Amino acid sequence: MFELLEHTSDVGIRATGDTREDALISASQGLVSILADPAPFRPLEERYFKASGPDETAQIINWLNEILFFFDTEALVFVQFEIDIWTAGEITGRARGERFDAGRHEFRTAVKAATYHQFESHPAPDGWEIRVFVDV
Amino acid sequence: MHLEKIDDYRWLIPRTYKAGMLTDALVYASEPLLEAIRRDQSLEQAANVAMLPGIVGRALAMPDIHQGYGFPIGGVAAVDEQDGVVSPGGVGFDINCGVRLLSSNLTLKEVRPKLRDLVHQLFRDVPTGIGQSSRLNISDNDLNRVLEKGPQWALEHDMGSEADLDHTEERGCIAGADPHAVSARAKQRGKPQLATLGSGNHFLEVQYVDEIFHEKAATEHNLSKESIVVLIHTGSRGLGHQVCTDFVAQLDQAMRRYGLHLPDRQLACAPIHSPEGQRYLQAMAAAANFAWTNRQLITHAVRGAFKRIFDETVRLPVIYDVAHNIAKLETHSVNGKKRRVLVHRKGATRAFPEQPVFIPGSMGTASYFLLGQETALRETFGTACHGAGRVLSRSAAKKGVTAKEIQKELESRGIIVQSLTREGLTEEKPEAYKDIEAVVDVVHGAGLASRVARLRPIGVVKG
Repeated sequence: MFELLEHTSDVGIRATGDTREDALISASQGLVSILADPAPFRPLEERYFKASGPDETAQIINWLNEILFFFDTEALVFVQFEIDIWTAGEITGRARGERFDAGRHEFRTAVKAATYHQFESHPAPDGWEIRVFVDV
Repeated sequence: MHLEKIDDYRWLIPRTYKAGMLTDALVYASEPLLEAIRRDQSLEQAANVAMLPGIVGRALAMPDIHQGYGFPIGGVAAVDEQDGVVSPGGVGFDINCGVRLLSSNLTLKEVRPKLRDLVHQLFRDVPTGIGQSSRLNISDNDLNRVLEKGPQWALEHDMGSEADLDHTEERGCIAGADPHAVSARAKQRGKPQLATLGSGNHFLEVQYVDEIFHEKAATEHNLSKESIVVLIHTGSRGLGHQVCTDFVAQLDQAMRRYGLHLPDRQLACAPIHSPEGQRYLQAMAAAANFAWTNRQLITHAVRGAFKRIFDETVRLPVIYDVAHNIAKLETHSVNGKKRRVLVHRKGATRAFPEQPVFIPGSMGTASYFLLGQETALRETFGTACHGAGRVLSRSAAKKGVTAKEIQKELESRGIIVQSLTREGLTEEKPEAYKDIEAVVDVVHGAGLASRVARLRPIGVVKG
């Protein structure tokens, strides 16, 4: 589950899940929903994600930035995410989606990056919660 | 937060406001603008900027200030070249986002009848680069040349002139740029996006000179009443975003080693003379050169589109091209002493005396052409503001209005808009931003830059 949080110039994502992994998958879906209407995209192509970093915050931000990297370089919009392993140093996983096609898909807002600004990741009463703001 | 009023345009956040501030923060705003500014966290962020190690003079906030990531947008900080730090967050994700203004030998009367065709042609010839690649297919070697040399590369490929470079800040090339400081990922993101406009608040506008406030200056810059101009607003695209992302992460780690602490991780910084700081500045310069090349290549495409719709006699010389997200080493006089400082301008325009300054308004509203003034050199390290500044969140802007309605409303005012996305219209609707007149009044009134001409849009192309 995710909800978008908005202030004047910020767009944030508050994502929850039973586990930290689930919350990250929700945050990933939240980010995709800022980029485009995810409904018509099919899981046709798969890419490996590798997000390393000295701490959990950096790893989560780097994971989310993978989504932006593949959109900029291959116009891929992902609709399925899987996390394979989350170690102390990195998250590895996969994402499946489809190339953006202006004829069939609706682009929404370009995202420059996921940021450290007001970032949160912590256990919540119903599992885990991640809050991240992106620069649009 | 209690602000000390200095005069009608200046407000002080004293360094005693919170622990860690090394200097005062000075906010340029009128009373009504300040009311809008208080609605977000931007003043708190301006106070945080005053904590940057090595900061010289005051932390500054321009009248279009709004909440950013770490640094406020519309924030300025100069740090000592020897003892200071460089902060990628103080430049922003869109390195060398900036504005270029072209003048022309066309008048409103000549363009009006062909306006719809012109806007369609511009939309076709200047790709947004969203979910589509640039038509330019450059090699890795060429990309490295762009990063190192800037628009000089475009000249070598017949897509610009020496006169274009003469009218570009730094002639479009910051020395010391090192393509090897730019990560492979950043290059991968940027390569398909060179010569593309992007989306969000980036745009290309056909405008006319609506009012002239300073006849001599306007004539000197090839502007007369009802002459046509073109405003290009874009930056370094995914390449710059990735450079910022890469270095915020690297400097976040380096800070611990250098014993630096700041209240927001997005303010990550490193001493200018540290290996990390130097590497960032080399990469930032490369990204800035990429952005200037981007605006040069878009200029080339715009010229082609105008020639197709009109004829070969159309001329669109560059008036000026200026960055508004950048850090630059400059010499400034501080308390009567010359100092070498690194000036971070995030959503703020360099405004040296007699230098052209462009302040675009929101979509469909006026933009201003001003000239920098001596006061800016004395007070703001030669800086003025960069735009109107958001007041509505994107979702609030979208509420109760459709893209079609906005398009129709603008058309009823004689403005033709072509946008790739519905969001490009609804999120960027005129009411989403502060009143440009109020912002320009402060800049002019405070003496940072003086009004030369007001420009009104008739054609808008955006992502």
